Amino acid sequence: MTFVQKYLAWGAGVLALLVALIFALPGGKARGFDVSGFGSLPILEGGRVKPLDSLARNSLLLIHSRQGFRHEGRTVGPDEWILDVLFRPQVADQQPIFVIDDPEVISLIGAKQTKNRNYFSFVDLSTHLDEIQKQASTAQPITAQKRTRFQSAIVNLFDRVYLYYKLRNTLQLAGSPGLGWELQSLGTADAALRHQDLTQLAQFRLLPPPAGAGPEAWQSVGQALTSAAAGAPLHPGLVPLAKLNAAYVANDYATFNQTLVDMNNVVSTLKPGALGHASNEILFNRAQPFFVGLSIYFVAFLTLCISWIYKPELLRPTAYALLLSGAIVHTLGLGARIILQGRPPVTNLYSSAVFVGWGVVILGLIVERMYRKGFGTAVAAAAGFASLIVAQNLGTDGDTMEMMRAVLDSNFWLATHVTSITIGYAGTFLAGSIGIAYAIRKHIVTKVDVETDKVLADMAYGIICFALFFSFVGTVLGGIWADQSWGRFWGWDPKENGALLIVLWNAIILHARMAGYVRERGTMVMAIFGNIITSCSWFGVNMLGVGLHSYGFMDKAFMALSVFIASQVVLMGICYAPARFWVDKPHSKA
Amino acid sequence: MIKTIASRVWAFFKSFQLTIVLLALLMGLIVACTLAQVEMGTQGAVNAYMRSFIVWHQFSFLTFQVPTFPGGALVGLLLTINLIAKTMDIKLIWPRAGMWLIHVGLVVLFAGEFVAGMMQVDTNMSIEVGQTVNFVQSYKNAELALIDVTDPTWDEVYSVPDTQLARGGAIAIPGTPITLNVKKFYPNAQLSNLPPGAPPSMATVGVGAGVSIIEQPLVSADNDMNQTSAFVEPVAGGRSYGVWLASVALGAPQSFTHEGRTYLLTMRLRRQYLPYAFTLKQFRHDVYPGTDIPKNFSSLVQVVNPSQKESREVLIYMNQPLRYAGKTFYQASFGKNDTLSVLSVVENPGWLLPYVSCVLVSVGLLVHFAIVLRRSLKRRQDKKEG
Repeated sequence: MTFVQKYLAWGAGVLALLVALIFALPGGKARGFDVSGFGSLPILEGGRVKPLDSLARNSLLLIHSRQGFRHEGRTVGPDEWILDVLFRPQVADQQPIFVIDDPEVISLIGAKQTKNRNYFSFVDLSTHLDEIQKQASTAQPITAQKRTRFQSAIVNLFDRVYLYYKLRNTLQLAGSPGLGWELQSLGTADAALRHQDLTQLAQFRLLPPPAGAGPEAWQSVGQALTSAAAGAPLHPGLVPLAKLNAAYVANDYATFNQTLVDMNNVVSTLKPGALGHASNEILFNRAQPFFVGLSIYFVAFLTLCISWIYKPELLRPTAYALLLSGAIVHTLGLGARIILQGRPPVTNLYSSAVFVGWGVVILGLIVERMYRKGFGTAVAAAAGFASLIVAQNLGTDGDTMEMMRAVLDSNFWLATHVTSITIGYAGTFLAGSIGIAYAIRKHIVTKVDVETDKVLADMAYGIICFALFFSFVGTVLGGIWADQSWGRFWGWDPKENGALLIVLWNAIILHARMAGYVRERGTMVMAIFGNIITSCSWFGVNMLGVGLHSYGFMDKAFMALSVFIASQVVLMGICYAPARFWVDKPHSKA
Repeated sequence: MIKTIASRVWAFFKSFQLTIVLLALLMGLIVACTLAQVEMGTQGAVNAYMRSFIVWHQFSFLTFQVPTFPGGALVGLLLTINLIAKTMDIKLIWPRAGMWLIHVGLVVLFAGEFVAGMMQVDTNMSIEVGQTVNFVQSYKNAELALIDVTDPTWDEVYSVPDTQLARGGAIAIPGTPITLNVKKFYPNAQLSNLPPGAPPSMATVGVGAGVSIIEQPLVSADNDMNQTSAFVEPVAGGRSYGVWLASVALGAPQSFTHEGRTYLLTMRLRRQYLPYAFTLKQFRHDVYPGTDIPKNFSSLVQVVNPSQKESREVLIYMNQPLRYAGKTFYQASFGKNDTLSVLSVVENPGWLLPYVSCVLVSVGLLVHFAIVLRRSLKRRQDKKEG
């Protein structure tokens, strides 16, 4: 590699990092309003303090499946959207944000399903609210797995509409003249009823604990108004909040931005540190490290593919440099989550996908350093990309940093058991990916290259050993955790069984290889089958019941899993098939 | 001749083929067991697939069940033999140290599961705040208790387990002049008010006289309870005190008096009295602020053990059980508006084995992979040099 080539390769990596940095920069003002400043206000929701921006993003993701949308020729981001919902519901109600895919639900609300008409505004839905509620309340008592497709879809729509309804009635009652009027009419005849409604419908609590209250006693606007009406001193956040409300409605951005400073002062007096924590999280939200990471992995993979036919000396190190910068972004994201949440990396299905991808990429980088054939890069970039895509799809259910239920509230076991198991998943997937690379290569490359085959087989073997170690240790630690919390080591619970299957399969591969029943090709076929087992125990267990009941069978995730399994079976066939170019050498007999 | 047969059997049991076939069978069983849990519940599926020697299947076109697959117990047994044979076969040389540790660790793990399967006893203890309890009770098994309550400071409890009731006949209660004649025993039954005009109940006295009873199949789901019931006739000194209905479904105990001594008669979950007692001082159920997500459950318990002259406070909470006198007490459930705490109690003499196994296998795997890695690096080094 010449100096120039090296320079170019690392240049590409640095460039990727710079792009990632641009994402983290704060966005501009919308219509002159400091919306991202408003989004940095800390709130209490779902049991933890977070910036309003996180709630806006997660709510929009739930309702709209994306974190932003185009309306009247411009893009509306989450912070601007939440401001409209909170302060100008009459505007937000017009925005077509409710995505509905189910044709039966669409026909229920009376709109014909056309290609571009899957998005509805709250106004569109408002005339059908009674019907939606009626249908949803008949479906709700049925357990989630036993609902028909229509029932799942209507319950899902109802939940989203209800979330929206709560949001627009959190800081002021929608349709009322606003929070300022509410403050003036304290103690009037029906004010108490409105305060009660506000308290009940509040989706989050924006007012930090007032002086003298407990450290977790955040208040919703309804609660603060109720206690003010009862004679307690007015919460110092209410007046600036009412001003913000009035300024936003009056389109007066100068006053709005000025009042935001007052509001921040109130917050930092009452709850020092909350504002800082919230702005760290908002930085993480904006940077979207996992989205940026998967984009870089994608470019790295493409670069490597091109390197096989064009300028390999230049492009292979470039791909490696790109993979490395993707890994840096990915690692920073993972680290940020750990710090923000104060928990080990894996706490739910979403974070397990992020962590599996990370594990595969790191292992791939190591393998590439050891063998320098480009395969480590290819497999790591492809697997990192795929697992982050999976994570993006899993992260649409709301807050991905949700609180841990009592039995899971143990950082020690989350750190040991869950992390080991997830590393085991990553290892098994990496071995399977190497198997796939081996299979495809065998069919594409015409030249017989015993040396490279041998290297790939060595890699796969080493990684299977690695995966066996972590999945075994992880499974046994899980048993010990179960013994600690439920008094039984092993209960044949589906998730436990899934983990055990991975251990058994890796053990079978190693024994079969040791006894000489399989050699290079056989090992690779078995490694690819490991992908199927791992994906089933990772996700299949969560949808157990889904596959066996009624219309839930068509569930999206279930389809995705089936397609994945089918593709792996085909790849096993490809790996096993003596194709035209597959020279049947004695050493490669399975 | 015998030697060849023996060596063939030995060769069979230590072969890799057997290992692989058995591991594959085990995988098949696990998949089937997992899928079956949707229909049969965890306990039912585990009993059908994992704890049986043969898996039976009822085809709709046949009147009898057909063996379809070797069961978990059979596969596990063969795998254990295979594992022991294999472990004995591993040469005791340093390069095999890792292998040896792994397989010994697995033998320990299997032994632990065997001990748990054979000897583990699961019970529970429900305590209300302020209450003192000196017994644990079974989840499923019942007993018929005869309690002498004549002395207001002391209850003398005599109990007959449901297994003995099922055999029927006359049961003499040792220490009392009473003999119980078991007229009829229902492992599970449904009780309802006797409708007018229906044939009279078998019971001649007590609430049972107005109750109609229908036998039910045993429940299999994990959270359901059998309503164990029986008609019994206490006889003492040649005199019958009538036929009584005792059932888990009936609340208050019924009583009769013989020669100045009052006896309560009640069917209840089987109890095991302990030489120590727990008093629940406080139960906490914390949630995350502004949500219903549980953050913590904990029971503050006063343990009083007169024989050890011991009286101390213990906090039992999630992932932090109390191990005491061979039993382990876990925070399991709660009720009655957070004033009742349910501790599940497990007695498993082999509880330590999985921990030992975990250490052995992990160390073994590390040692083995280190040896393999060293060998492979050495080979690469040799190739470079040669």
